Amino acid sequence: MANPVKPESNVVTTCAYCGVGCGFKAETYKGRVVRMIPWKEGKANHGHGCVKGRFAFDYYNHPDRVRTPMIRRSIDEPWQAVSWETAIQHAASEFRRIQNQYGKRSIGAVSSSRCTNEEIFLVQKLARAVMGNNNIDNCARICHSPTQFGLSATVGWGAASQHFDSILKADVILVVGVNPTEGHPVFGSLMKRRIREGAKLIVIDPRRTELVASPHCRATLHLALRPGTNVAVLDSISHVVVREKLYNEAFVRERCEWPEFENWAALVGDDRYSPDVIGPLAGLDPEDIRRAARLYAGGPNSAIYYGLGVTEHSQGSTGVMCLGNLSLACGMLGREGVGVNPMRGQGNVQGGSCLGSWPHVFSGYRFVTDPEVRGSFERDWGVALDDEPGLRLPNMFDAALTGHFRGMYIMGEDPVQSDPNQKHVIAAMRNMECVVLQDLFLNETAKYAHVFLPGSSSLEKEGTFTNAERRVNRVRKVIEPLAGYQDWEIVVMLMNAMGYPAKYGHAGEILDEIARLSPAYKGMSFPLLERIGSAQWPCDENAPEGTEVLHTVKFPRANGRGTFMLTEYVPTTERTNDQFPLLLTTGRILSQYNVGTQTRRTANSLWHPEDVLEISAEDAAARGIQDGDWVSITSRFGATRLRAILSARVNPGVVYTTFHHAKSKANVLTSDQSDWATNCPEYKVTAVEVVRVQPVVENMAADTAEQPAEEAFA
Amino acid sequence: MNLQQPQHREGDRSEAVIDLDRLVLMANQIADFFAPYPPLRRHEGIRNHLRTYWDPRMRKALLDHIDHGGEGLNADVVAGANLLKQADTEQKGYYGPPKA
Repeated sequence: MANPVKPESNVVTTCAYCGVGCGFKAETYKGRVVRMIPWKEGKANHGHGCVKGRFAFDYYNHPDRVRTPMIRRSIDEPWQAVSWETAIQHAASEFRRIQNQYGKRSIGAVSSSRCTNEEIFLVQKLARAVMGNNNIDNCARICHSPTQFGLSATVGWGAASQHFDSILKADVILVVGVNPTEGHPVFGSLMKRRIREGAKLIVIDPRRTELVASPHCRATLHLALRPGTNVAVLDSISHVVVREKLYNEAFVRERCEWPEFENWAALVGDDRYSPDVIGPLAGLDPEDIRRAARLYAGGPNSAIYYGLGVTEHSQGSTGVMCLGNLSLACGMLGREGVGVNPMRGQGNVQGGSCLGSWPHVFSGYRFVTDPEVRGSFERDWGVALDDEPGLRLPNMFDAALTGHFRGMYIMGEDPVQSDPNQKHVIAAMRNMECVVLQDLFLNETAKYAHVFLPGSSSLEKEGTFTNAERRVNRVRKVIEPLAGYQDWEIVVMLMNAMGYPAKYGHAGEILDEIARLSPAYKGMSFPLLERIGSAQWPCDENAPEGTEVLHTVKFPRANGRGTFMLTEYVPTTERTNDQFPLLLTTGRILSQYNVGTQTRRTANSLWHPEDVLEISAEDAAARGIQDGDWVSITSRFGATRLRAILSARVNPGVVYTTFHHAKSKANVLTSDQSDWATNCPEYKVTAVEVVRVQPVVENMAADTAEQPAEEAFA
Repeated sequence: MNLQQPQHREGDRSEAVIDLDRLVLMANQIADFFAPYPPLRRHEGIRNHLRTYWDPRMRKALLDHIDHGGEGLNADVVAGANLLKQADTEQKGYYGPPKA
């Protein structure tokens, strides 16, 4: 892009892409955003930025942006542009009609990690106070819900124990199922900096990611385990810790529940978790498992960073518990340089988790079944609230298929593209009578929607995001909302139309309400964030400017102690056989972001114009596949086509793809197997077969919709 | 799970809120997690999980299924789910298995 003329003004805000939450100075010229400059004082990024945050902002002004509300009676009819009032009234009356006909619990809402804390909180309020049920979920359901479950169970809070800069004091870095140099680039660079300074790196990942071997960065150990064996391998590492007495007994006795430790040690210490048993099962050298255990336990400061490679499994929550157990046993919590840290994929996944967009907890992870907590919300909101947990997102689709769930409000999400087993989701969407979608674009889900409310990008609104290190950053309005309203204002209109008198003069008033009702956010306010830039929760009278490192004195559990869960390995039912002999796993690439709704509409697409299938030379040769050939990929659930590239990054038996392009239909393949505790889908393990096919004739007409926006000042 | 599931038309509702095969599968997965715990904690763990995370209609469908013989269910699910019927175990929801 040609360097624009001298910008007229600038606003400091927060990037909406990954969970690093970089501060940016957004520069504008004649009312348009022309440049994003990484902000030196941003405490998450210290002046760094990545190729997404710096350059992929044009999407906001793409011709595909919908700027007018639209409605239609049935999904077979064309959209009809209407006024805001008509669209909101239509949505409200349809929701009320469905509730009158099928009961209070027949509708629900889904919020997005691309929206602000204030908006996520309001969608929760829409479901609980206005719809009168707890059918509220968010997209963390399909990524990090096991983090909340597994870490809460062991250390008390489902959040990163450290701030990002803590890694600069780590001696050993254990990276499990996450690819930070592509998924969380600015933090990935910080990690590489520490590795260059001499920290040892252990990578547990089926794929040779960039961290395993790249210029000036080499893993001491890479455990290229077979997809689906995380829990077995982590238990085996713990087995070595227990058998070789590498654990930190003083820490466990002082800070944890000792009897639970003994129960856990008996389980993982059993011969069935010996590296000699688990190594062959997971495709690993048993010695590498021993080395990893000794290295991690030896520290002196060992830090765990993990991602969706841990959570998106049938034992996702168990895998997270394994990490909690291991860090407690080795005393790797409660100071700088250590900890257990989930790397968050979306800009506000942590906020989505914190702010009650869950069917079982209010903001601050407090249960809807708890009368005391529920009472505090009832008093503040002035209505009686449902005391039973609601439906989780996958269960909403399940219940749509049986006719018990008929209407849905979706803010900034594309479940048809991003949720597993697409056929199942589409059948569920078709069964609903009123789907209200609020988004920037007509995404895949829009095909099944009845009301479309044009939302605002993060450049067009006020609010806050909470990043992966629990840091609450300000999102500031750089330009006026293209369709007229910030997303939270639209939610308020819908609440009002449904008969609930919500009224906020400014997004900061919503944050005040969050602070009033959520202990960890008690001290948060726009004035505080103006004054100090950002603050990590918990932020209250004991920590008026927030908290960098958690668990320094005690764990946020009733007795203040960490505890150990029994993490038996249960193999997934999604297995290979003669018909589906390969395991497909998925990931992301640096230049694109998730399902690509935003980045595909920018020049970033030049770097990654299509998803490809990585396949080992051995598996390719056995199938007569050459580099660049088109292949069909078939699972028990569906089939799609991609171009294959021969790659040394995957072992024989494993194939890999990204899921940035809708036309790739990666989720046609994925199964409906899900985590036992949270229903987080098992995206990371799908048994498939790959066959060479004739090249696909590209549908040029369909592709033009995804061309980058014209340059702002061509 | 059956992908060729017929679509339900307006007003046509099957009794269980979620396809029963799926409920049975989900319940058995929960029992698999709690299997290494001693019997009492195992059953309380399953009970608490169902109480805290399952929509009441899902719990009811599971209990109805148990009343009709509970085909396909792990015996621990039956024992855990039956604890849901005891009012004296009604308490605040919390995570994971019962604490020592």
